[in-house]
Amino acid sequence: MKRIAPGLVAAALCLTVQAALADVVAIVAAQSPITSLTSAQISDVFLGKLTRLADGTRPLPIDQTEGSATRDAFYLQIAGKSPAQMKAFWSKLIFTGRGRPPKAVADDLAVLKSVQENPVAIGYLDRRSVNASVRIQP
Amino acid sequence: MSASTSAETMNDVDLTAPMFSFAAFGTLAAVHSSEEQADFVATAYKPDGAGFSNSWSGKVDSLIAGQVTGTFSPHVSAVVQVVAEQSHDGAFQPHVEWANFRYQFSPDLSLTFGRTALPTFTHNDSRKVGYSLPWVRPPVEVYDLAPITSNDGLGVIYQRRIGSATNTLQLTGGWSVSKFPGGRIGAGEAKARELLSIADTHEWGFAMLHVNFGRTRVSIAALEPLFAALRQFGPPGEALADKYEVNDALVSFMGLGAGYNPGEWFVQAEWGHLDSSSLLGAKTGWYVSGGIRFGTLTPYLNYADVRPTGRTFEAGLDLASLPANLQDPAAQLNGALNSALSGIPRQATYTLGARWDFMRNVAFKLQYDQIALGRDSVGTLLNVQPGLRRGGTVHLFSASLDFVL
Repeated sequence: MKRIAPGLVAAALCLTVQAALADVVAIVAAQSPITSLTSAQISDVFLGKLTRLADGTRPLPIDQTEGSATRDAFYLQIAGKSPAQMKAFWSKLIFTGRGRPPKAVADDLAVLKSVQENPVAIGYLDRRSVNASVRIQP
Repeated sequence: MSASTSAETMNDVDLTAPMFSFAAFGTLAAVHSSEEQADFVATAYKPDGAGFSNSWSGKVDSLIAGQVTGTFSPHVSAVVQVVAEQSHDGAFQPHVEWANFRYQFSPDLSLTFGRTALPTFTHNDSRKVGYSLPWVRPPVEVYDLAPITSNDGLGVIYQRRIGSATNTLQLTGGWSVSKFPGGRIGAGEAKARELLSIADTHEWGFAMLHVNFGRTRVSIAALEPLFAALRQFGPPGEALADKYEVNDALVSFMGLGAGYNPGEWFVQAEWGHLDSSSLLGAKTGWYVSGGIRFGTLTPYLNYADVRPTGRTFEAGLDLASLPANLQDPAAQLNGALNSALSGIPRQATYTLGARWDFMRNVAFKLQYDQIALGRDSVGTLLNVQPGLRRGGTVHLFSASLDFVL
């Protein structure tokens, strides 16, 4: 009992913390060739720093529109950046011609649709919007 | 800067896009300097600033800029960026900062033809986009080092993945013409040719490392009368003119930058060096900066330093060996040489400020700078009046509003 209880408590804590942080998840189509991306890789895909995966696939990131709570939560979680920091990041690239932000769609439903239409698309949405047509990454 | 127009997306295959997109940025700022015997300016291109000319000046940092990007095919695009700010002749005027065609061979490799801002120090090509910077302005000790900040010619950008890091290499070559107001190195045009710059940025997680090398040949025609006069003094005058003349003079510059930015805080440091055996001289500048983000407020603290690394004094023509009637003119020529050389800045600045992102796309910043002018130096100040005490302290107060559209 003494040995098991701390383990159970630790496991319960981990699950709780995970549930609190995991409101927004990155997803790909269920049939997508993209199989195992790490959090760091997903972050780099959305920031334009990773444009080709090891197997040659060029992932297509799908953003949600600026101002969306889901978008703000996603970038804070995956890249540690606040909405202003994200805007500053893209401003630097746009005004020096070195990059452009991903295409943005209106909401979780639009993300699901975009991801279905393109097998190499990666999007993010609220965990509650996940359905059988998509797979969570990582 | 709408992220939803397809013309601005990463995926170049998406052709259902409008052909043209527009974006804008700007800064509205005011600076007060406690030093009334000289002007604080952030760049040598502007004729006046805060202090002597105006107690409070909006001209030091204020600007507005617009950019139009045209996408003509998955591979071909063009951009024009026009910036309006105080120009060398004092008027608030627009000028073309960027104007180029870009051919994107792949998402990793592109070629530009036309005008770009020179990618030297970490923020050099984005130094006017106040919204993208944590501070009111990039530290002048590093960012005012090189007299050339733009390039007309060719550029290549190659981005590749090395392990889990992203490496971006930028090669730029061409020429540039900048107009300077009257100042310590003379007014008029500075022409740079055979400009070549290599910059590499390595990003790994939250860490960034940046290195750049560049060289160019600079000519400032307005200085020619000084050297023509020196040449009239025989071999010693010829020797002085050959050494200091800014006529196709070789100028080299290099920089090293590093940063760590996990989002909740950041540290950043840069070191830059400019070298020329001409009147432009040699100097080294560096800064360290750190900040912490508390919600929408990001206070920061910087320390910056710049100092000459070459000659700041030239004995010049030997007056004693000249006939009496030539001693005064010779002394004046010596004085002109030394005025330029002693103008190579020596100063150190402590900066304390905060950025407040109080609404979307807008940032408000308050900044206090304490500039310690080096012994016998006027630092980076311009329009120096006789009453200026060299080696003194200057207190700057800046307030700015940066926005992007």
